[in-house]
Amino acid sequence: MKALPPLVVGVVAIVAWQLTVTLGRIAPFILPAPSAIWAELVEQKRNVWEAALASGTNALLGLVAGALLGVLFAMAASRFRPLAEVSIPFAALLSALPIIALAPILNNMFEATSSIPRRVVAAIIVFFPVFLNTLRGLREVDPIHRELMHTYAASGWTFARKVRLPGALPYVFTGLRQASSLAVIAAIVAEYFGGLQDGLGSRITSAAAFTAYPRAWAYVVGACLLGLVFYLTTLLLERLAMPWRTRLIA
Amino acid sequence: MRRTFFVLLGVVIFAALWEGYKLVGSPDGTVVFGVRVLPRADDLSMPHLWTVFERLGKPELTGGRPVWIVILHACVFTFGITAAGFVAGALIGLLLAVLMQRFQLVERGFLPYVILSQTVPLVALAPLVAGWGGTIMPAWATVAVIASYLSFFPVAVGMLRGLQSPSASGVELMRSYAAGWWRTLVKLRFPAALPYLFPALRLAGAAAVVGAVVGEISTGTRGGIGRLVIEYSREATSDPAKVYTAMLGAALLGLFVAGVVSLLEVPLMRHRRHVEVVTL
Amino acid sequence: MTAVVVEHVTKVFNKGRPDEVTALSDVELTVGDGEFVSLIGPSGCGKSTLLRLVADLIEPTTGAITVAGKTAGKARRDQDYGIAFQQAGLFEWRTVLRNVELPLELRGLGRAERRARAEEMLALVGLADFAGHYPAQLSGGMQQRVAIARALAVQPPLLLMDEPFGALDEMTRERLQGELLGICAKTGTSTVFVTHSISEAVFLSTKVVVMSARPGRITAAIDIDLPARDEAARQSERYFEHVTAVRQALRGVPAESAP
Repeated sequence: MKALPPLVVGVVAIVAWQLTVTLGRIAPFILPAPSAIWAELVEQKRNVWEAALASGTNALLGLVAGALLGVLFAMAASRFRPLAEVSIPFAALLSALPIIALAPILNNMFEATSSIPRRVVAAIIVFFPVFLNTLRGLREVDPIHRELMHTYAASGWTFARKVRLPGALPYVFTGLRQASSLAVIAAIVAEYFGGLQDGLGSRITSAAAFTAYPRAWAYVVGACLLGLVFYLTTLLLERLAMPWRTRLIA
Repeated sequence: MRRTFFVLLGVVIFAALWEGYKLVGSPDGTVVFGVRVLPRADDLSMPHLWTVFERLGKPELTGGRPVWIVILHACVFTFGITAAGFVAGALIGLLLAVLMQRFQLVERGFLPYVILSQTVPLVALAPLVAGWGGTIMPAWATVAVIASYLSFFPVAVGMLRGLQSPSASGVELMRSYAAGWWRTLVKLRFPAALPYLFPALRLAGAAAVVGAVVGEISTGTRGGIGRLVIEYSREATSDPAKVYTAMLGAALLGLFVAGVVSLLEVPLMRHRRHVEVVTL
Repeated sequence: MTAVVVEHVTKVFNKGRPDEVTALSDVELTVGDGEFVSLIGPSGCGKSTLLRLVADLIEPTTGAITVAGKTAGKARRDQDYGIAFQQAGLFEWRTVLRNVELPLELRGLGRAERRARAEEMLALVGLADFAGHYPAQLSGGMQQRVAIARALAVQPPLLLMDEPFGALDEMTRERLQGELLGICAKTGTSTVFVTHSISEAVFLSTKVVVMSARPGRITAAIDIDLPARDEAARQSERYFEHVTAVRQALRGVPAESAP
């Protein structure tokens, strides 16, 4: 029942799209018909799969590296106040910058023919939301929990393990949810800036350059599916990691 | 004041790390199992910071304008695109939010797609939108379309949360005054939504910059800072500092947009606190 | 041995600054073993501050506090008391059982013993069936009962409670008051109980300590002797006499010694 309105909207949108394109005789370079895109997707499914695998690997490695760094750095910053004081405004500022434009520089610094630059870009972009959210979670401790642990004469380490970390978990996952889709976007878009061309990004640009627009759109659909897989996996992990929240929904 | 100091401190630390790595890092990077895990530290890959600043003052090409003027021009151009995309995106976001607040069915039907639109890399469409340039709209407008696509989302979600934030008692109070939907919107929901709106606008501003830069590159639009990053990076082997000057320009643009967006709220938010909305 | 001795305690917040506040001024208090003492007074009279001093959550500016014959700090490190606050303060990521186990865990008890003790405590507060639930699945009153079970888990000789029933509705509140008295009688625990409800203080306590604000100090200590503490007691003549005495003491009318 809950899925009905979005389902209706989705079907209506696709039908309307198909009708507009076919009846309105819209040139494919402006908007190809869904049927044409689907046909290309079926025909190219091997290529789409391989390109998605390449981009997905880059995104995953970048995501894992960036998220680990973000969490570790946030833990360090929550431990040493001066570090947090400097890094919070600095990170907030940096996250307002178009970090993706670092891609060509990283291509120079590493090797343009390796996958490292794309992974590094993804990792840098992932780092900020994970770091900022985790740090916020680590700093926000219920004052009652603080006092309670004090009455238990708990040590700093025990406090961190039993209260701070589990309390920060929802925030970590908020960061990860944002990061998961950012990682995919970064891994794909980084290819527009040059470097090794074996992922979805370069397939889209080259298909567009050959004016094979339905094929380009087919790769975009592949990219969308890849993004969804990342996002839904993160949601699933979140459910598994925080059973006290899922029980509520059940 | 304190914040500015800490940001400056952060910049100094970054500069120290950069030059420090150049001192100790291997010029050809560190290769482990055939994978270069640490970047090259030679002047070609990581020029000295002062070289970058010197480069700003020198002409772009022999006898041409100095680089900093070229970059400033490019930033102004891209800022124009960003602003157009941001305004369009924010308006669409606001409209969507109001519609979703007004009609529950719209919210239930569209909100999943609004969220979905951000989890999937639809920016990948940028090279395709490029095809529109010169036919149904001017080339720069296609870039603005990409920027607006990236910026509508935080506004739509943040504003929706904001419009839904007034308590039931507040809504009932308005009802007791016999205020209709529109008056409730103007007198209660909009003011209540402001603390949600401005943080969302900041996110939208940053997203619009990314959209404009990425859009310029994938559509091949000339004249902007994104294009400059690509052009200069091709000269990296002969003129390594040049691409960093373009990076500085992109960073400057990001900062400037963030500054302008935070100025927007000054008259309205003097006595109020921000509410951060988790958008995804 | 007396459970709590507070001698000449003064507490000044923000000392030496323009916003200096004397929260407590020269307070003396003794809680005997097995006694149930309520602290009552208007907002800002320092009743919570006094409780926190006993718990060693804050330190006195001058004076000394002895808990179970030790300094307050030593008593805290030895876990000689259990504490419950107005908010239950449960850990949302732990099940009810694991919430009650937490203080035992920190004392280094073995898994089996921990579990047995926590289950026993949950049975005591009537929540044995909810051991596997998460806090967010419980009502406010049930959460507060879990918090009490958690406070009792280490079987402390002293129980400190800061308006534990303050956020509950009247019916739940009265039921929990009855349960608390039963538990205290069964375990022989001494209790210091902060409240701003006169009827609650009188019904629960063997002694009601009345405090006044600015500066916070103790103005009266009224012994309560009710023959029984049950629903009938809430209607008894004796009960209303005590309520009147406490009310007068709160208003500043010199307290007559209890009849």
